Amino acid sequence: MTRTIHLNLDINGRAHALDVEPRVTLLDALRDHLQMTGTKKGCDQGQCGACTCHVDGRRVLSCLTLAAQVEGRQVNTIEGIAGEDGTLHAVQAAFLEHDAFQCGYCTPGQIMSAVACIREGHAGSDAEIREYMSGNLCRCGAYNSIVAAVREAAEAVNTPVRETAEVA
Amino acid sequence: MTIMVPRKHGDASDGMVGGRLSRFEGNLKVTGAATYALEYPTEGVVHAVLVQSTIAAGKVVAVDISRASAMPGVLLVLTPEDDLGLRAAGDWAGTAPKDEAYYPLPRNVQFNGQSIAAVIAESREQAAEAARLITVSYEETASVKDLEDPAAGEGKMMGNLTVGWGDAEAALAASDVTIEAEYRTPREYHVAMEPHGLIARWEGDQLTIWEPSQWSHGMARMYAEWFSLPLENVRIISPFIGGGFGSKGQPLAFGAVAVAAAKKLGRPVKLAVTRPQNFTSYGGRAATRQKIALGATKDGILQAIVHRGYSETSVYADYAEQTGAATPVLYKVENYSSEHRIVPVNTVTPGALRGPGKNPSSYGIESAMEELAYALGMDPLELRLKNYADHDYQSGKPWSTRRLREALTEGAAAFGWEKRSHEPRSMRDGNTLIGWGIGCGTFPVIRAPSEAMIRILKNGRVEVVSGSIDMGQGTYTILAQTASEALGVPVDQIDVLLGDSRLPGSAIAGGSMLAGSITGAVHKTAVAARDELIGLALSEAGSPFRDTGANTLSLAAGRVSLPRDDGPSLSLAELMTALGRDTLEIRRNTLSDDAQTAEDQRRAWTTMAKVMGPTMGEFSMHSWCAHFAEVRVDEDFGTVRVSRMVSAFDCGRLYNPKMVESQWRGGIIMGVGQALLEEGIVDARNGRTINNNVGDYLVPTNSDIPDLQVISVGVPDLNASALGGKGVGEVGIVGVAPAIANAVFHATGKRVRDLPITLEKLI
Amino acid sequence: MKDFSYVRATSAEAASQAALQAGAAILAGGTTLLDLAKCGVAAPETVIDITHLPGLSDIIVSADAATIGALARMSEVADHPSIKAAFPAVSESLSLAASAQLRNMATIGGNLLQRTRCPYFRDPGTFPACNKRAPGSGCSALGGVTRNHAVLGTSEHCLATNPGDLAVALVAFDATVSFAGKTVLVEDFYRLPGDTPDKETVLGRGEIITGIAIPASAAAKNSIYLKVRDRQSYEFAAASAAVGFELEADGKTVKDIRVALGGVATKPWRARAVEQALIGKTLSAGTVEKASRLAMEGAVAQGDNAYKIELAPRVVVRAIQQLALKTAMKTGGLA
Repeated sequence: MTRTIHLNLDINGRAHALDVEPRVTLLDALRDHLQMTGTKKGCDQGQCGACTCHVDGRRVLSCLTLAAQVEGRQVNTIEGIAGEDGTLHAVQAAFLEHDAFQCGYCTPGQIMSAVACIREGHAGSDAEIREYMSGNLCRCGAYNSIVAAVREAAEAVNTPVRETAEVA
Repeated sequence: MTIMVPRKHGDASDGMVGGRLSRFEGNLKVTGAATYALEYPTEGVVHAVLVQSTIAAGKVVAVDISRASAMPGVLLVLTPEDDLGLRAAGDWAGTAPKDEAYYPLPRNVQFNGQSIAAVIAESREQAAEAARLITVSYEETASVKDLEDPAAGEGKMMGNLTVGWGDAEAALAASDVTIEAEYRTPREYHVAMEPHGLIARWEGDQLTIWEPSQWSHGMARMYAEWFSLPLENVRIISPFIGGGFGSKGQPLAFGAVAVAAAKKLGRPVKLAVTRPQNFTSYGGRAATRQKIALGATKDGILQAIVHRGYSETSVYADYAEQTGAATPVLYKVENYSSEHRIVPVNTVTPGALRGPGKNPSSYGIESAMEELAYALGMDPLELRLKNYADHDYQSGKPWSTRRLREALTEGAAAFGWEKRSHEPRSMRDGNTLIGWGIGCGTFPVIRAPSEAMIRILKNGRVEVVSGSIDMGQGTYTILAQTASEALGVPVDQIDVLLGDSRLPGSAIAGGSMLAGSITGAVHKTAVAARDELIGLALSEAGSPFRDTGANTLSLAAGRVSLPRDDGPSLSLAELMTALGRDTLEIRRNTLSDDAQTAEDQRRAWTTMAKVMGPTMGEFSMHSWCAHFAEVRVDEDFGTVRVSRMVSAFDCGRLYNPKMVESQWRGGIIMGVGQALLEEGIVDARNGRTINNNVGDYLVPTNSDIPDLQVISVGVPDLNASALGGKGVGEVGIVGVAPAIANAVFHATGKRVRDLPITLEKLI
Repeated sequence: MKDFSYVRATSAEAASQAALQAGAAILAGGTTLLDLAKCGVAAPETVIDITHLPGLSDIIVSADAATIGALARMSEVADHPSIKAAFPAVSESLSLAASAQLRNMATIGGNLLQRTRCPYFRDPGTFPACNKRAPGSGCSALGGVTRNHAVLGTSEHCLATNPGDLAVALVAFDATVSFAGKTVLVEDFYRLPGDTPDKETVLGRGEIITGIAIPASAAAKNSIYLKVRDRQSYEFAAASAAVGFELEADGKTVKDIRVALGGVATKPWRARAVEQALIGKTLSAGTVEKASRLAMEGAVAQGDNAYKIELAPRVVVRAIQQLALKTAMKTGGLA
């Protein structure tokens, strides 16, 4: 028989209650149970990075994370990156400006990875960005633009100028 | 967290055709709001999981579903025992379907990884686990593993692919310098980041399918034929596609299974094809083998090309990966002979993958040309320029536009080719050998009719409506630009609706034919809409222009005014209100006037019947490119890294250079993967693709790719399309693999004639 | 994935107790367990989540040793300044493994227990025969595609390559692993497949790794991890080497050297013959090259993987050369 557990998840700062089987991954919980489909399933095997989310501020693969594991932790997804008023995060704006995506399917994972990459201090050079963004495959081949976008966003994040605003 | 205030980039000209407008739907994609097929919320949806064969050939004797059926949540198990009541569908070309049944879960196994059963359960997890508990008994029969299997034989000659002129064998025999070599490419896969899958929902006899599609109308037609439905009862919804690269142009067996299951259960069914199952649920690029002999004079004038190619196909369908597709059009040659055979093996039928035919073909001829250059002791760039084709020797027709010479010379200049040292192994940096190579590419201009609709709404917004597809090429963006320019309405006043078979018909997003076709249709429709609006403004009661005596009006920056600029000036919203209209709807297509019947239109939008090839007309029309690659090869490890690339393209006019450059780079990157990493590996004992995942079938990561410089050398080609563009999507990959293979030879002195060039081939 | 129950352990003792139950599996980073559960290789009845246990994530570096809690994440160890300073090969082996996301998930304890990437092991539906999964069922890799299989430490029952990077560095520097009150050398923690390839380590049922310790040494401080693969990133090694050495006061003669190999053996492979051949010698090109060949003593090619026998010694040579260059630059000894 199927077991079900009740979970209270903190996603993008909001509480979400759901009843799922223990084997349900964070990825499937988001996509199938909470209708938060911004997080993508590219391989479901930890090999592509499309499902990248943040747990307690660290980028992780939600396909190899059980929903049950993250109860009590802070989960952030692509839906929670922009400002409340829809203002894009610096990384999102840079992706748009540099055309750092085509089909858009790997994009949420790339952006979540890039936000963390910058925060980790791994965006110091193009070579470092390439290496630390290599866990996110892009078959459309937007890599050059992704590097440019991360570089620009890192500069924007690390040297706040007049047109940026600290929000948290 | 830092949030940027929105910045204004570029200027108004970005919104015009040729401008660098950022991706029109970009905001949805960077926020996760773009909705892909499996993400549509559907009340009461249940989940299907496929069971695939584990033998290469034989017969399903029994399927034990007892354990699966007993699992919680399981609603239905489908096996070859179940007659789903399907009929055969016609093919892409629109050949009438055979009058026979279609079994998407067949009893006869023809390749390892063929779907033979499916489990439908309340949850994905339940269905997946139950699927694992199904046991299948087979009666195995002999199989052919691949092209190199001794049992494969010589295959079938494809007479329609035999090309020849002059006397190639004689000219080859009489040539001063000859080379002959055989080149191989392995099975390669699309690996679109979005795996295949669908949601199918029936409402009475109305069928709605959310499925990533490169061709919503064509797919709707094939589903309709499978399920014996009128075409209008089937709706394919596909506004966002997570990459296709040729794999999402037709419905596949699993689609039939999901739709049939939904019908049986009376509930919507979601079927997600797992990543491993994606490797056998549809075919990638066929493995190929080609032998090329070149003959030339001592001073490098090409005398003859003899080409003999093979590609694998399945045991149940003929598909030719045309190894001779680029061979006859790249160079001037008076004597030419090419044949191609297909060899049936136990694989899923191969399919079109970016640059079909042209891609392996270019690997052959462009490798052979460099081998000839070395045999002659001549710079490979010089050899190519020396044998520049002044016209198409195959069709005898003049080129419409061919700026391959400029691609070669301008690419060479940007690359710094003049600094090259000719001898192999003559450039090094410590343990690293450095090599440079060239590969030329081409892809034909394929044209197809399309239809479009423009709606001007009461609120002044303009909708561009088309059933065409944007899988990342930029259809949304260039259609907004096209309508903006033709109408005189700012791009931010425009909405673009795509990806629905209920919307106006369109060319497939494939064969690099969509952009040229659909911009033509939208341009034509927008011009008609503008004329219609101006006509109404001049004639309708209530319009302030009616009594101005003007015989035309200007529409610019979203305002309608008198050409003299001294009278009324109304926004579109104001004019629509004045006209008392809620909407103005204009629909046009680019079919010829004598082919406008309902049947003509059905055939045009749902089959390839009206598609025109590159020489159907006065000219021979193609996109062209030249790639210059630098590789760094570790002398001890055999590892190859591409350190620099310059690629120059003639794709005619670029509708949006920003999008085009992205597509070119994307093609180049896929070519890097093809050259160095990608290979479907099959276990000879059972025909299983054992690296059926993206941890083992390697595609390039960000770290594998250097800065790629791309250059446009094209000029508008108005024979090729209404707005002057030629295809950009496919040509980018063509020629990359030989450029890299040639660079590896230059670096190491070792000629690798079978892709990919993995490290063990160089140590 | 088979249905299972989820238990969040409240203490290490409780986790050990729970893990004694039939069908219990410990869940840490999840990158191996959930992956294998999806493949159908692992089918736990109960998953015991230990990631919330306190006190198992510390990274303490003293003059004598680094002690690292089993739940420390790969990325935390890789980026730890003291680990980088005193054990560069350890840090590099972690940074070159998997991807940034996986390194944020996977724990040090879990990393030591990662399973082979043998495609036959990972596809039970198609290849029922696998002595690692089902003892006595046979080995599907024998006679199959073996490009990524081991050339060292194999048996007629199993050719599966140990995929680890970290473990290679740990083996080189005599690190120990602690579990259930015991402490053993990492090198002894792993078993050769022999006729029991299902038993990969000496970890007993219900035993949970609590941490590792790496003794400080001059060789560990002066070390390097070199990983060779077709793809620049996010791929397992075709061959890798962890190398560290200490020179005598003359700045030339080898006093201590450590060499271990990855990607070529059924367990993280210490190449003691190479070490012995170099101790007391100077690291001249010829000496190093000749000694490195000894790394492949007893290697057996299985068709497609013969290249590894050629490649691995070259990786050792290069690692020693690069490290020698680094050492010389550091000590100003570069002529």
